[in-house]
Amino acid sequence: RTVCHTRNHSFCFIFCFFNQRFGIAAYRKYSSGSRYPNISLSSPLPGIPKPVFASVDGQEKYETKITTLENGLRIASQNKFGQFCTVGILVNSGSRYEAKYPSGIAHFLEKLSFSSTAQYGSKDEILLTLEKHGGICDCQTSRDTTMYAVSAEVKGLDTVVSLLSDAVLQPRLLDEEIEMTKMVVRFELEDLNMRPDPEPLLTEMIHAAAYRGNTVGLPRFCPVDNVDKIDRKMLHSYLRNYYSPERMVLAGVGIEHEQLVECARKYLLDVKPVWGTSTVANVDQSVAQYTGGIVKMEKDMSDVSLGPTPIPELTHIMIGLETCSFLEDDFIPFAVLNMMMGGGGSFSAGGPGKGMFTRLYLNVLNRHHWMYNATSYHHSYEDSGLLCIHASADPRQVREMVEIITREFIQMAGSAGEMELERAKTQLKSMLMMNLESRPVIFEDVGRQVLSTGRRKLPHELCDLISNVTSSDIKRVTTKMLRSKPAVAALGDLTELPSYEHIQAALSSKDGRLPRMYRLFR
Amino acid sequence: MAVSIQRLASAGRYLLQRRVLRINSTSRVRWIFLFNSHVLSAGPHRLLATQAVQHVALNVPETKVATLENGLRVASEDAGLTTCTVGLWIDAGSRYENERNNGTAHFLEHMAFKGTRKRSQLDLELEIENMGAHLNAYTSREQTVYYAKAFSKDLPRAVEILADIIQNSMLGEAEIERERGVILREMQEVETNLQEVVFDYLHATAYQNTALGRTILGPTENIKTINRGDLVEYITTHYKGPRIVLAAAGGVSHDELIDLAKYHFGKLPGRYQGEAPALPPCLFTGSEIRVRDDKMPLAHIAIAVEAVGWSHPDTIPLMVANTLIGNWDRSFGGGVNLSSKLAQMACQGNLCHSFQSFNTCYTDTGLWGLYMVCEPGTIKDMMHFTQMEWMSLCTSVTESEVARAKNLLKTNMLLHLDGSTPICEDIGRQMLCYSRRIPLNELETRIDVSGHCFDVCTKYIYNKAPAIAAVGPIEQLPDYNQIRSGMFWMRT
Repeated sequence: RTVCHTRNHSFCFIFCFFNQRFGIAAYRKYSSGSRYPNISLSSPLPGIPKPVFASVDGQEKYETKITTLENGLRIASQNKFGQFCTVGILVNSGSRYEAKYPSGIAHFLEKLSFSSTAQYGSKDEILLTLEKHGGICDCQTSRDTTMYAVSAEVKGLDTVVSLLSDAVLQPRLLDEEIEMTKMVVRFELEDLNMRPDPEPLLTEMIHAAAYRGNTVGLPRFCPVDNVDKIDRKMLHSYLRNYYSPERMVLAGVGIEHEQLVECARKYLLDVKPVWGTSTVANVDQSVAQYTGGIVKMEKDMSDVSLGPTPIPELTHIMIGLETCSFLEDDFIPFAVLNMMMGGGGSFSAGGPGKGMFTRLYLNVLNRHHWMYNATSYHHSYEDSGLLCIHASADPRQVREMVEIITREFIQMAGSAGEMELERAKTQLKSMLMMNLESRPVIFEDVGRQVLSTGRRKLPHELCDLISNVTSSDIKRVTTKMLRSKPAVAALGDLTELPSYEHIQAALSSKDGRLPRMYRLFR
Repeated sequence: MAVSIQRLASAGRYLLQRRVLRINSTSRVRWIFLFNSHVLSAGPHRLLATQAVQHVALNVPETKVATLENGLRVASEDAGLTTCTVGLWIDAGSRYENERNNGTAHFLEHMAFKGTRKRSQLDLELEIENMGAHLNAYTSREQTVYYAKAFSKDLPRAVEILADIIQNSMLGEAEIERERGVILREMQEVETNLQEVVFDYLHATAYQNTALGRTILGPTENIKTINRGDLVEYITTHYKGPRIVLAAAGGVSHDELIDLAKYHFGKLPGRYQGEAPALPPCLFTGSEIRVRDDKMPLAHIAIAVEAVGWSHPDTIPLMVANTLIGNWDRSFGGGVNLSSKLAQMACQGNLCHSFQSFNTCYTDTGLWGLYMVCEPGTIKDMMHFTQMEWMSLCTSVTESEVARAKNLLKTNMLLHLDGSTPICEDIGRQMLCYSRRIPLNELETRIDVSGHCFDVCTKYIYNKAPAIAAVGPIEQLPDYNQIRSGMFWMRT
């Protein structure tokens, strides 16, 4: 490692020389006749119109309106203060539907989104059109939903819906676009493995363990071996099955409902998609089968740092149990439980409010300083759910770490204190409301809820449900959860990892302890 | 049933953590304008500002401003939400430190959460957590910020807590000792983030021997020796009424906020006995720092020229130029379908993993440049194409490219203004930088009339000596003279 400071002194002279020779002339030539007003940003620009501001009277009292078109497409909207809107199409499509296809199709479609379409010759044309309306587009896919969204001026609504319809139903999927996507997917996979933060990888692994080979257990990221298998024919076959109007919602935030419906009738009602008429019969209707199990990945994590400062070698584990679908009533108590477990990194930035009194902080990180991370996550789908805890520590302490986590799981079934329950409920409500400050988040909420249930529970209804959760609810749902087989993901140096059977035994014991093994020979 | 909670619960948690992290990383470093066009967000509203009209309707709430007797300014925007963000923006950061006490502003930010005369650290933490609120703080080179997010109904308590932590901090000796360890640990954490490392190096070389060249955390030696006296002195020198803004957004009543401010901050000293501390002058020096380490997989390089301060009118055309260069990550893909030419070249030639154009502003100076992450073999080409684009900015960029960048800049500016925290941040920062909140229509007009960026780019980029910071396997990085000679075109 060499350090080389080059101080400027030696260069000064040379620069003066250069400035004289070429610079000043060039400067003179271009800088004359600037039209730009020379007024500091601290003073108002003279001559511009005086703004008349809007004002709010009291709290927002908007409701979500829903209409279903003749072809089965649902339209959901929510009005909101402001001159911009977020509008998009959500499709019941994602990696969970890829059982009959090579995994990775949805990942490909996400990366191919907003490329050339029947109307627009290239992605650049789409962007240019949107820019005229101050808009941006984006596509995100998860295990069960794909979202195409645009944020733009309300005035541009007609163009936006027309563009969305084209992007979703008439993509050209040109060979060069597919080739480019293959490269992008490869890069993304490479970056995923290089990143010091293993969270996405672990989430992928625990889903594979919990739902072995089915639905939400299928890989969300295209496996490297599949990159070359995917072509236009296959994409069309998939799109024909899954991109049908009854599996879609057109959602909008910040617009008048009637206007959105009108645009939908114009651009989404009698449109024939480029892949022909959909064949609903081939839709994969499988219900998620929770299996439990273990997925291990031995990996040398001794040098994951991208820079000269080393990151200590860590082994990561994630242990999860089955919870419930977001359609069930128990979903809310599970969400409260997840909040109560909380956790984070042993060294995480941020002041009070990050969950310092959650159980994973109080019982785990504050007591066992050798642990690097302990965080609780709750994943929930329309037919199943998974509550898991991610923990990481030095490879030599993996066994101890696993036991600490299994004991936390067992203790969840004990009674929750009144204070901690109230705190978790308040924090869940505040998180919900703070997230819903942002328009794209409202859009996602409206769209996802209507896509899966046909209606939207409003934020205050959710807050009421959260308020009603009692400690006996928590106890009940936990007891049920503890009856399921564990799902385990482990990454790093796994020499000290207890066997799956032992983890399972610990989670069915009274105290969460791993079975004692007395071995004379090993 | 409720998709939202779970989604939000997991997504939100993630967002939240990311946000917290981001804040704390921005914290030590700087305000960079990094505009990411691939983030989903609100579009801007175009301004009908085409003269003639005397008034223009903006569908956003007004930012109301008031000044207390001691000079403290109160600024807020009420969007009628059930949650809000409220915070203190203080005109004080590491720039006001000297070699000996460098790190004090940041140390002080840490001590704010360690207990006051009214509440112990535990009481404070419990109170915030039980309210479902968040309390956070960050220090940059020129600003120190303390802010809270809470339910709107808890606004009075949030203001009271903010007032308490900046006026009544105990600054206990034992806590100070403990915090040294925490900050040293934080330093380690910062060092694993190469972007931060590179920007610290960039400041160190660009502003060598001046206050902006120092880091926000300060050197290890200072962290080990800063004492209670230093902290108290920093507060008494800098935390004065006229240098503080109480900003709020979300669901806030301005009148209520003024009353709260009078009650809780009325006793803050307003005037200086004698001279107010002057802003230390900072000189830009074209120069470089190279930290070669061939064991690292990727090279991280920043190159910048001196730009202008916050309120300088040229900052707008420079931001347009910035948007024109754009930013890119190889997972975006794109090829010929990208608005940024440099991104097209980077993508087609596989020249880098990512690059970001930046324009970091301070009161009277700024850094305009590019940060890139490259494989060792492509550094030379990437640098070449970057400079070629810079030169074309100064000589041959087309009207339509500029028009597009302006449009994008306007869109991206409004991208930030979604949710109470970004809005509050904008209010607080603008109040400190401009002593007012620039109405959106004015900002848009300023972008519209900023003209072709030729002349401004030529003024700041063409034939200027850049500052360069490079870390990693950088053998291929051309020597300084060669890069310097890429800052102009010779035409015969």
